[in-house]
Amino acid sequence: MEPSDEALCERVARRDEAAFDLLVSRYQERAYRLAWSILRNAEDARDLSQDAFIRLYESAGSFRGRSKFSTWFYRILVNLCLDHKRKHKWWNLWVRDDNDDRADTILDRQPAPVNDPVDKLSREQMLKELGSAVDRLAPRQRAAVLLRVQEDMATYDIARVLKCSEATVRVHLHRALATLKKTVEKR
Amino acid sequence: MARHPDTDLVPYLRGELPPAERERVARHLEECPDCKQDTELLRDLLGDLAQAIGQPPMVNWARYRAELREKLEARRGQLAWWRRPMPLALSAGLAGILLVVAVWGGREVSKSPDPLGPDEAVIGRELGLLQEFQTVERLDLLEDLEVIRNLEGLASERQG
Repeated sequence: MEPSDEALCERVARRDEAAFDLLVSRYQERAYRLAWSILRNAEDARDLSQDAFIRLYESAGSFRGRSKFSTWFYRILVNLCLDHKRKHKWWNLWVRDDNDDRADTILDRQPAPVNDPVDKLSREQMLKELGSAVDRLAPRQRAAVLLRVQEDMATYDIARVLKCSEATVRVHLHRALATLKKTVEKR
Repeated sequence: MARHPDTDLVPYLRGELPPAERERVARHLEECPDCKQDTELLRDLLGDLAQAIGQPPMVNWARYRAELREKLEARRGQLAWWRRPMPLALSAGLAGILLVVAVWGGREVSKSPDPLGPDEAVIGRELGLLQEFQTVERLDLLEDLEVIRNLEGLASERQG
């Protein structure tokens, strides 16, 4: 029988390297994908998801098992990503380097001109616009949406990750989805 | 009609509301066409979002883990540099040297010449003698007085 994440974390606290490797294998893809969804940059996502695993290794002893391991670990990861976004806020607003995976600049985000020859955008175009609209959400709203959509997390768990009340998460989700809905309805 | 359950719609769609709240939202949706339409839109939107967010570029996971291992080793090194034998020996040696310099320097300071000028220093060294100078100066006089006192004594003996 496979050991639970929580049991592995306990072993990591006792500096069990094999348990750490197993946890990394279990969570590496999810951690990288979530970090990328928040940061939209593959290199930063790789770095910060690795940093989250380092934090996990160093602070495994502080995991008390009051929440699921995944919730506890996502809190570390999301905090790192939101801190990173905050520190690079103004830089990212105006400059997007070549490593940016979406490769759409601030100019690309402007509304299409009214005389756009393409009258009806394809579904792919709509999805692209929707993805860009997600990028423009406030950081905590975006994190709430990503945790809900990508990780299929319950409101209770999202609240634990974002260190806020469930009511606040509901408001974040409501506002974020209302904004995204407007993007879709504009079409 | 009760207030629109805006913030409850997402939890309702995910089926995570407690039974009483779920029932309340369901009843509202039956009575409120706007909220019902919103709920349908939200359901579609949540479905589209999973696709809209997309997938990140592929990663070589073996390399990813190797990088992570390197970072972890580097981090351990940073945290425990002072525990290594060489820095510990160097630190102890440096502390010893500083202690010796401090003690030796203290002694040198106590032995060091007086910061006053050379004449004043000479006077200072002879200060004890100078304090007795008046006595020395009067020595002859005192001897004379003794002689006088003795003389008076001698005189009274002669009279007796």
